Amino acid sequence: MSYEVNRRLVRRREPLPSAAEIDAVTAGIIRGAFETICYETATHLGRAASSAIINQSNERNASVIDAHGRLAGLSVGIPQLLFISPLAVRWGLEHFEVDDWGPGDVFVGNDPDHGGGHLPDYNVYAPCFDAAGELVAIQALQAHQGDTGGKDPGGFSVDATDIYQEGMAIPRLKLVHRGEPRRDALEMLVRNNRFPSFSGDIAAMVSGSQRGAQLLDELVAKWGGDAVRGAINWNIRETERRFRQEVEGWPDGCYEADVWIDHDTVGNEDVQVHVACTVEGDQLKVDLTGSDARPELTCVWNTFSNSRGYAMAQLVSMVDPSIVKNEGLFDAVEMVLPEGTIVHPPPDKPAALGAFHPACEIGEAICIALSEILPRRSSPQVYKLGMPNAVIGVDGQGQMWMDQGVDVRASDASATEGIDGWGSMCSGLGNLVLAQAEDAESRFPVLNLSREMTTDTGGAGRWRGQPGTRNIKQVLEPTTAVAWMVSKKHPLRGLRGGADGGPYSNFFEFGTDREYEIENSIQAQLPADAVIAYQYGGGAGFEDALLRDPEAVREDVLDEYVSVEAARDLYGVVLRGSVEASDLEVDAEATRRLREERGRAEEAAP
Amino acid sequence: MSLRIGIDVGGTFTDFALLDGDVVLLEKMSSTPDDNSLAVMAGLEKLAARRGQSLGEMLTAADAIVHGTTVADNALIQMKGPVTGLLTTEGFRDELELRRGYKEDIWDVRLAPPPAIAPRRRRLTVPERIRADGSIHTPLDEAAARRAIERLGRQGVESVAISLLFAFVNPIHEQRLAELVAEMLPGVEISLSHEVLPRAPEFERTSTTVVNAFVGPGVSGYLDRLVERLSEAGYARDLLVMQSSGGVMTREYLRSMPIRILASGPAGGVVGGARVGAAKSAPDLLCVDMGGTSYDVSMVMNGSAPADAGWNWHHRYLVAVPMVKVETLGAGGGSIAQVRHGVLEVGPESAGADPGPICYGRGGQRPTVTDAILVLGLLSPESDFAGGDFRLSRDGVDGGFEKEVAGPLGCSVEEAAFDCWRIVNANMTQAVRRTTAGKGIDPRGLTMLAYGGNGPVFAAIQAEELGIEKVVVPRASPAFSALGALAAPPMIDEERSYLVSAAAADRGHLGGLWGELSKRAKGFFEAAGFASSEVRADFQMNLRYPGQNWSLTVGVASGSCDQATGDLDAAGLEKTIARFHELHEEEYGYNRHGESPEITGVRLVSRAAIPEPRFGSGPTEEFRDVTPSGERRANLGRGFEPVGIYHGPELVPGDRVKAPGIIEETFTTIVVYPGWQAVVDAAGDYLLLRAS
Repeated sequence: MSYEVNRRLVRRREPLPSAAEIDAVTAGIIRGAFETICYETATHLGRAASSAIINQSNERNASVIDAHGRLAGLSVGIPQLLFISPLAVRWGLEHFEVDDWGPGDVFVGNDPDHGGGHLPDYNVYAPCFDAAGELVAIQALQAHQGDTGGKDPGGFSVDATDIYQEGMAIPRLKLVHRGEPRRDALEMLVRNNRFPSFSGDIAAMVSGSQRGAQLLDELVAKWGGDAVRGAINWNIRETERRFRQEVEGWPDGCYEADVWIDHDTVGNEDVQVHVACTVEGDQLKVDLTGSDARPELTCVWNTFSNSRGYAMAQLVSMVDPSIVKNEGLFDAVEMVLPEGTIVHPPPDKPAALGAFHPACEIGEAICIALSEILPRRSSPQVYKLGMPNAVIGVDGQGQMWMDQGVDVRASDASATEGIDGWGSMCSGLGNLVLAQAEDAESRFPVLNLSREMTTDTGGAGRWRGQPGTRNIKQVLEPTTAVAWMVSKKHPLRGLRGGADGGPYSNFFEFGTDREYEIENSIQAQLPADAVIAYQYGGGAGFEDALLRDPEAVREDVLDEYVSVEAARDLYGVVLRGSVEASDLEVDAEATRRLREERGRAEEAAP
Repeated sequence: MSLRIGIDVGGTFTDFALLDGDVVLLEKMSSTPDDNSLAVMAGLEKLAARRGQSLGEMLTAADAIVHGTTVADNALIQMKGPVTGLLTTEGFRDELELRRGYKEDIWDVRLAPPPAIAPRRRRLTVPERIRADGSIHTPLDEAAARRAIERLGRQGVESVAISLLFAFVNPIHEQRLAELVAEMLPGVEISLSHEVLPRAPEFERTSTTVVNAFVGPGVSGYLDRLVERLSEAGYARDLLVMQSSGGVMTREYLRSMPIRILASGPAGGVVGGARVGAAKSAPDLLCVDMGGTSYDVSMVMNGSAPADAGWNWHHRYLVAVPMVKVETLGAGGGSIAQVRHGVLEVGPESAGADPGPICYGRGGQRPTVTDAILVLGLLSPESDFAGGDFRLSRDGVDGGFEKEVAGPLGCSVEEAAFDCWRIVNANMTQAVRRTTAGKGIDPRGLTMLAYGGNGPVFAAIQAEELGIEKVVVPRASPAFSALGALAAPPMIDEERSYLVSAAAADRGHLGGLWGELSKRAKGFFEAAGFASSEVRADFQMNLRYPGQNWSLTVGVASGSCDQATGDLDAAGLEKTIARFHELHEEEYGYNRHGESPEITGVRLVSRAAIPEPRFGSGPTEEFRDVTPSGERRANLGRGFEPVGIYHGPELVPGDRVKAPGIIEETFTTIVVYPGWQAVVDAAGDYLLLRAS
C-alpha cells in the first residue's frame, strides 16, 4: 500500500553516526565538493545522452543522498526535480541487505508508488562506501526519458486510467553488480522502450552515476568516512537553522490560497489546489488539505514525491538563495500532503501528466499565499502549459520520429517586486535549453513559422509580466499531434493586485476553414501542411498597474510588449505619437487625470 | 634574425615580450584604459630604449607585432557601444531576449535581466524564409524591409546585425538586406550572420552577430588607431591580433568579425603554456593563472588547447565563436573575505587594484587573500612587491581580519587568515574540477603550469589537492600571456553547417564546403604574406549520434593548404565514422556501433608556421641544495614554523630548494609546501616536484 510506504519514506531521518569534529570551513569545503561532483555527473550525462530532452533540454539532475536517505548536495538542473531522488533512493535503501548492496553497484527506480516522480523520470543511483565498508553516500542521477513503454509514445497518455497504461514501473532494479553490468536487466529496459536512443541514454545514466560514485569514493578516501558524515550532518543542520531563521522573521499567521486547473484531460472542470501556510515562530507548515480528491479526475494526480519537490522548489525560491539546498530544508518545514487528494494520490494512479498539473499549481498556490508577506521574492516557479504540442510521424525507413515541441518560447515569466518578468520562463527553469528551428527542420518535416511574443499578454502591473509567445508550426507531412490544454480559463494569477498573465490557447489546422481550438486534450491526425498555433500564457503582473511609472509604460509600448490601448486602459497612461515613428511621449496631464479617475473607480468597486 | 613583439593589454597592466632570435625582453606598463594604444606605444618606446634604438628603428626592423586586447570585453562589461539594431526573419524577433530559456541562476528570482544591446524596438523582422535545404520558401519582401530599415534609422541606429534563418545555407536574403541598409543608412556598420558565424542554430548565430555588431565598431576603431600609430612610427607589417581561438590573424581578416577577439585575454597564456609543456615533455597541462581579481583555469591536451565553439556565455551574452575553454573563478589576490550568516566566504567580490588589499596601504579596509597570505608569512612586508613598485604593510591588516572574520567566527587573526587560505584553495580545486568535468579527465595525469602574480603562491598546494605530481612556474610568468601570444600561430578556424545523416551524406557537398573554407583561408593568408605551402590545414568533420545536441570533431585530413583537401572517397568517409565511434567511446565511455551518426558540419583549422620563442626543456641531471638567504615565521598548512627564504634571481639551473621554503621573484612568490621541492631547470624555469 503506497500510503504506508510514503509515510515511512518521508519520515525525518537521523543524522549519520560520526565522531568527527567538523568546523564550518571543512563542512563548506566538503559541501563544495559534493556540488562539483554533482555538476560533473550531470555534465557527463548531458554530453553523453542521446535524447534531446536530456542533452538539449538539460532535463537532468544530480544529487548526493546520504546513507540515511537524506539529501546531502545537488547541482544544476530543475529545482523541482532535484528534490525528488531521495525518496526513490530510500526505497532502495530499505532493501540494502536483501538486494546485496556493495561497491560498484548501480540501481534504477521510477515507480511513483515507491518514492519515484513520474514514470519517465528515471532515478539511477550508485553507492559509495568508506574504508570500513560502511555506506557513506549515494550518487543519484535523475533524467526524463523519451518513452516509458506504455500505450502511447512518449509516456504521456491523456486518457490513461491507471499507471500500467503509461508504461513500466520499476520500484528498484539493480543494473550493475560490483562493476559488472547486468545485461539481462538492461536488455529488459531497452526492450520496453520505443526509441532507439534510449539505450544510449540509459548507458549514459549508468556511466554518469558510476563517475559520480567514483568521485565520492575519492572524496571519502581523502577525508575519511567519519569526516564526510560529520560534514553532511553539519550542512544539513546549518540549512535547517538558516531556513528557520528566515521564517522567524516572517509575521506569524496563516496564509491561504486556492488555485484552479481549468479541467482534467477528460473535461472535469475546476480542479482545485488549496494551501494553508502557517507561520509560527520559526516553524512553517505547508498544508494542502482541501485540495481536490474527486475520484473521477483523470491524469491530474501528482505523485507524492513530486508534490513534495514542487512545494519545496517554490519555498526555496522565496528565501535567501544562498541557503544551501539539502535535507535541512525538509527538516525545517512541516508538509501536509493529504492522502487520497490530487497531491498524494491513491496507488496505481496514472502519474505522467500530474507532474505538470497539479504539480505547478502547488507551487503557484504557495507563492500566492506567501506573497502577502514576502513581496521581494514572490515569483511563481511554474509552467502553466498543459503540455507542449508534440508531433509524431514515421519516416521513409519506417522509424518513428517525434518533435516534442519543447521549442523556444516565453511563458509564465512573472514579475516580482522591482523586477519585470523577463526571458523565457521562471528562473527555476533557467537550466533548460529550448529547441531551435534550424535543428528541428533539418531533422523533422516541420516548419517553424513564428514564435514571437504577443503584445499585451504579459500581466499588467506596477511590475509587468513577460508576454507569452505564439508558437506557430507547420507539419509538412501527415502527422499525429498530441495536445493537452489548460490555463485558458484560469491563467497564471497576478500577485498583490497585479493582473493575471495572458491565457493559453491552442489551434489546430490554423488559418484554414477547418481550424479548431483545442479545448481539452486531443490526439489528432494532421494532414500535410497543416498549421498548429499555440499561444503560451504570459507572466503574472505584480501590484496595481496604475502604480507603474508612466515612462516605463512608454518604453513597454515602444517595445510592443504593451499596446497604446492597453497603456491607456490597463495602466492609465495616455501617450502621444506612434510606435512606428518612434516618437511616443507621455501626456502627463491626461495620464494624471485618467489615473485619478481609475483610482476612484477601483475604490468604489467591491 | 627575426624580431617579434608580443603585447598583452590587461585591466591593470600592459605586458610586453620582445623576442629577438633567442633573446627575450619583458616589460610592463600600467594600462591606459581610455586609449589603450597610449600604453602600448609608451611600452614599445621603453623596449626600444633598452635595445639602444629609437622606436622607429625597432619598429622598422620588427617582423611581427602580435597583440592581445580586452577592448571587446570592456565594451560589454561597460555596455559602451553603438546604438545597435537587428533585422531578422519574420516570426523570430525575440530569440535574443528568450535566450533558449537560459537564466544564469536557477535559485534567485531577483536576478535582473541582462542589459539590452538590442531592445525589442530595435529588433525588427522582415517577411522572408529560406528552408533547411537552401531553397526559398518565402521571397524577401523588399517593401517591408525598407520600412523596417527606416524605422531603425529613425531610432538613430549606428550598427545593424542581420540574422536570417538558414542564411548560412543560402545568404542571398542577408546580402540583399545588407545592400538595402547600406543604401538607406549610409555609414552604418553591418554585421551579417552568415559571415560572423555561418552555422546553426539560430539563437547562437543571432546572439553572436548582435554582439559582433555591438563591440565591432569599438574594436575596429581601436585597432585602426593602433595600426595608424604603429605605421606612423615605422612599422610596415600587418598587426596580428590574438583571437579567442588561441590563434592570431590579421586586422583584415577580423574586419567582418571583430567578435573573434572577445575573451582572447587568457588565450595567449594557454598557447604559451602548450609550448612550454611541449618543450618540457609535458603534453597534458592544467594551466592556472591567478592574478588580482580572478583565477583562470584551462587545459592543454596532447600539446594543444582545444577551442570550443559552443555554449560560451560572456558578460551575459552567448558568443559561439571558437574559444579556448577557460574557467574563471572570482578568486584572486584582491578577493575579499567576509562572514555571511556565520559562514566564511572569499570572493568573488574584489578590492581590485584600487583601493586594493589593506596591505597595499591605499585605503583598503576589507581583508583580502593577499592580506591573508601576508598574515600567514607567505608574503613579507620586508620584501619588494610587484617588481619593487612598493612594499606591503601589515598596518590595519590584523584589525581588518579581527573585525570582518576573526570576531564573527570567534577565532584568532592567524586562524582567520588560515581559513581564508583553505577556502581559496577549496574554491580553486572546485574550479579545476569543473574544467575537467565532462571531459572525463583525471587531473592526476596532468602537469600544472602556474603563472600570474599569485599563481605560484598556491600552485603546489593546489597540485597536492588534485593529486598532481609536477608544477611548472615559468621564469617569464609575469608577462607570460604576452610571450604566449608570440607562440600563437596565425590561424583561421571556421565551420560550415551541413546537417545530414552520415549514411546519406553527399560527399561532393562536403568537399565543396571544405573547398570554400580552404579558399577563404588561402586568400587571407596570402594577403598577409604567407605562402599556401607554409599554411597547414586540418580538415575536420563534426558528428554526433541522432538525437544528440553536441557534436564531436573528428580529423579527416591534414596537409599544406595548397595541397590537402577534404575530398573524401567512400572509404574515407567510413574511416571518419569509425573514428567518431572510437572518439565517442573515449569521451563518454560508450558508443553506438552499427548506428549511423549524423554529420553536423565541416570545420577547417588552418595555421601558418612562425618562428617561436624557444621554451626551455626539462630538468638538469643533478641538483644542488641551496641555503636560504633568510628565514621567517610562516604557516604553510601545518602551523607556523621557521621557513627558509630564497632570492629567486640568484638561483641558477640545478639549484634545489627544500620544503618548507619561499622563493621571492621579481613579480611573484613561489611557495614550496611541505612534501614538495623546487628545482631550477635547464631553461631557468621552476619545477615544483613532490619530494621523493
